[in-house]
Amino acid sequence: MNPHGDTIRRTRRGRRLALMSVGAAATMMLAACGGGSGFEDQGAAAEQKSDAPISVLIGSSGDAETKAVEDSVKSWSDESGVKAEVQVASDLNQQLAQGFAGGEPPDVFYLSTDSLASYASNGSLEPYAADLENADAFFPSLREAFTYDDEFWCAPKDFSTLALVINTKLWDQAGLTDADIPTDWDGLRAAAEKLTKGKQVGLVFGPEYQRIGTFFEQNGGGLTNDEGTEATVNSPENVEALTFVKDMMKDGVAAYSSDVGAGWGGEAFGKELGAMTIEGNWIEGAMKNDFPGVDYKVVKLPAGPAGEATLQYTNCWGVAAQSDNIDGAKSLVEHLTTPEQQMAFAEAFGVMPSVEEVADEWRAKYPDLAAFIDGADTAANLPTQEGAADVISEMNAQLATLKDKEPQQILDSVQKNMEAVVSQ
Amino acid sequence: MASPGKVRARGGLGSNKARQAFAGWIFIAPVVVLLGLFLFVPVLMAAWVSVSDWTGRGSPFSSDVGFVGAENYSRILFGGGLDTQDFGTAIRNNFYYVLLVVPLQTALSLFLAVLVSKRILRGRGFFRTAFYFPSVTSSVAITVLWLFLFNATGVINKILSWVSIDGPNWFADPRGVLHIVFGVLGVDTAPSALAGSEFLGISWWEWLAGPSVAMSAFIMMAIFTTSGTFMLLFIAALQNIGPEIHEAAMIDQANAWQRFWHVTLPMLRPTLFTVLTLGLIGTWQVFDQIYTGTRGGPAKTTLTPAYLSFNAAFNQQDWGEGAAIAFLLFAIIVFFTLVQRWVLRDRDKVSTRGRRARAVAVEGER
Amino acid sequence: MSTTMREATRPDAAVATSTAPGRRSRFVASGGPTYLLLVVLALIYILPFLIQISTSFKTEPEAAVNPIGLIPENWTTAAYERLFRFSDYVQWGTNSIIVTTVVTAGRVFFDSLAGYALARIPFRGRGVVFALLIAVMAVPGVVLLIPKFLVINQLGIYDSYTGMIVPLLADAAGVFIMKNFFESIPVSVEEQARIDGAGTFRIFWSIVLPMAAPAVMTIVILSFQGSWNELNHFIVATQDPDLTVLTKGVAQLASGQLSQGTQYPLKLAAAVLMTIPVAVVFFVFQKRIMNASAGALKE
Repeated sequence: MNPHGDTIRRTRRGRRLALMSVGAAATMMLAACGGGSGFEDQGAAAEQKSDAPISVLIGSSGDAETKAVEDSVKSWSDESGVKAEVQVASDLNQQLAQGFAGGEPPDVFYLSTDSLASYASNGSLEPYAADLENADAFFPSLREAFTYDDEFWCAPKDFSTLALVINTKLWDQAGLTDADIPTDWDGLRAAAEKLTKGKQVGLVFGPEYQRIGTFFEQNGGGLTNDEGTEATVNSPENVEALTFVKDMMKDGVAAYSSDVGAGWGGEAFGKELGAMTIEGNWIEGAMKNDFPGVDYKVVKLPAGPAGEATLQYTNCWGVAAQSDNIDGAKSLVEHLTTPEQQMAFAEAFGVMPSVEEVADEWRAKYPDLAAFIDGADTAANLPTQEGAADVISEMNAQLATLKDKEPQQILDSVQKNMEAVVSQ
Repeated sequence: MASPGKVRARGGLGSNKARQAFAGWIFIAPVVVLLGLFLFVPVLMAAWVSVSDWTGRGSPFSSDVGFVGAENYSRILFGGGLDTQDFGTAIRNNFYYVLLVVPLQTALSLFLAVLVSKRILRGRGFFRTAFYFPSVTSSVAITVLWLFLFNATGVINKILSWVSIDGPNWFADPRGVLHIVFGVLGVDTAPSALAGSEFLGISWWEWLAGPSVAMSAFIMMAIFTTSGTFMLLFIAALQNIGPEIHEAAMIDQANAWQRFWHVTLPMLRPTLFTVLTLGLIGTWQVFDQIYTGTRGGPAKTTLTPAYLSFNAAFNQQDWGEGAAIAFLLFAIIVFFTLVQRWVLRDRDKVSTRGRRARAVAVEGER
Repeated sequence: MSTTMREATRPDAAVATSTAPGRRSRFVASGGPTYLLLVVLALIYILPFLIQISTSFKTEPEAAVNPIGLIPENWTTAAYERLFRFSDYVQWGTNSIIVTTVVTAGRVFFDSLAGYALARIPFRGRGVVFALLIAVMAVPGVVLLIPKFLVINQLGIYDSYTGMIVPLLADAAGVFIMKNFFESIPVSVEEQARIDGAGTFRIFWSIVLPMAAPAVMTIVILSFQGSWNELNHFIVATQDPDLTVLTKGVAQLASGQLSQGTQYPLKLAAAVLMTIPVAVVFFVFQKRIMNASAGALKE
């Protein structure tokens, strides 16, 4: 290699590069001093324009959901003449947070019960739902889920409840009949015992309160009192319920999906690592796509000492307070929550309609899944106070090691955190 | 603005100094501006956010964002609530990660470098490539691979089953490795002395949990992926030491280890310092693996301060707390780096003379 | 690779491995076990990747039942088909290529300029700049997640290629590497040129930089690797799915966006594909690095 060769050409090129670098540096200085800011002034509400285009941000479970929402939004757009665009978030929570922080949130978006309190309290959300024409059509428990500070913030998009899903082949093999379908905790335990064989566990569920909580509710417990004003995590009912779960796991007749090497209850169920699972209506799509060969049936969760209970999950259509077309957004949400659209979504991706009037229609259409919608009457919401989601995820962290811990000890430590959240 | 080229054309030795100063600033300007804009300014902005109550809506500099003093910090450090617990857990997890990864990866990379630096080695290019390759692949890709290797029915457990070991479900296993060891020794619940008192919201018993089984898998992954990079640094350093010493060490078989310890290693000190520092800085900021793999689970045992900070801000809109955690993490890294710098520098002064003497002795022997 | 071959068959290497009994026993004593150890270690390092490739061509049940087999019983490209049909994999790849190319070019140039200035050009404030650089190196990237988002947003380059590329264009570590290397080059070379009347940039560009080829190569490798594999910057700099790069896309895929459940063949296929470009570049540059170091050894 000759380092001195070709000097002249290199020098000329070098000079050009040097100039470029100076130019680049200067450009950046300018950008640093006077560049336009991405942060919008949040002082005044955006000027309203009835024809401003609407952006919709969704977190999709798959192509079917995406297409169904896109079609529905398009039909509204064609009708109203307002442009609307659907964007599928790859990480909804994060994208939403960045959208708000960046001053350009979507106009309409999926919002979980977890995030409602934080977005509502910092003024990001438009509390529009009470003004909707169909405000009273929603299930009362869903309206409640999206009520914060006595205000009904956003329209429930759809919902799901948990039920008991049973592998019929394994059920029959274990010599069980329809009469054995558990209606109470003893029945559940007995069935689980019979269904436990080799590597196959009787009952599997995700290692989280979002599943285990059903037992709390069935025993008359829960994380807070009904008004949400008091933390009741370490109540005797809850301790009893958690002890029941722990005993089943200790005896090997129940297990976490993670313990059997699956990502969630449905996967463990589909792979026949567990013969029963506690899951929501989304399991139907997963079984159809991923495990078409597995036959199953869905029944209501067994009643506990305090009666029947389940948990429900829902999202709403959030509308950003700084949207420049709030009326358009409201009109779009009204369209998305009409009974026809609700049934269309149900058909497309297996959710249950959030408006009461089509519940029977849904039940008639999906008799095999009736247990899910039947659960609506006894379904409880998870606490939605600001910070409650963090407490629950901390609780889940502890529940993961349930086998090695005392239920009382876990619940005591969660109680402390929940008290801090509730007293805010 | 004149380019250095034009200045040069004018010539003249008198203006040499000014000319050079100008050129120096031009040369360094892009880097200074870029780093200033995307490292220094952001740090200042985040410093403000960490003492504000900004909720992520609109500009953090607008008038309705309030100054809350050290509230975010004190809630994290002394609040005793969930924020403190999470922070304590994250620090514990990451501490064990650092404690295991840094020494192991340094030792392994040095070992590999010495092995592949032997002159008589056939096909050493192949071995270098093999060892270095994991370093070039992205942490995301490696994490995906690791999730597969270490899943319940994965490769690792398959291999373990050949020797009749029933492997754990790695990434879903929150049990602390030290707790498992204690359990084997018969201590499976916390002694009351350890369970009662706590630090950063978690009990001393929890501090002594060690890395969880899940975190152990990440630890192995870090060693696997970074040893190649550091091996390259060591190889370069070994080459710089020069063949005479290198060969001298090889010719005299009996003393090979001693020569390595007394001659080669001291000469590798600068590289060792670099490797340790980079390792220390790198291992305190575990993020990609967690984001891709476990998102902090199982049971928060792979939660790290970096991921916690991200999660607080981007998923929970608690930007002040997120920024505060980032600064606390920063402080931790600076602290450990300084400690390590101090430790190594101290030794260096003592040993320089001896090392030189030994090097001369080796020269003489040849 | 050719260099490696040449080196391995060099006369003295052959002598060392095969002749004179004294030397031979020494080889056995030192080389033999070393070899065995190296082969075992190499296997540990290579096998995971081979398993990764083979699993990406397996069906999901086979991947679960027989995770270790290197030859799939039922070859299938289903994972790859699904990847291309149901995700924006191609878009992610394009974005990664654009960003990586620009960032690597920028870093090589800016880092070596700055490194040279710090190593060789005496100017007022050099000490301060150097100290700041050291300080900046100590600022861990991950700590900057939130701050970077704030500044990118403030500059109005959030969700754009500019915001993805410009913040990555300079790195303190690269400057440091270049500075160290330039300092190791004897000053005498430049002095001669300076006496001949060459200006600073010319000395840098046509004399010093060519001598720094190994260091430049290091920067190229590090920058390419760094920006191709960068994840957290892109997480905070963009939200538009059209601006998603491979790391971000695959990370979100891995945590279950496209699929419920494990889906290992699919995820591994995504990881295999994103590794190919970086592997190719690695092998290309690897060869040049070997050449450079072999050349250095000869002198």
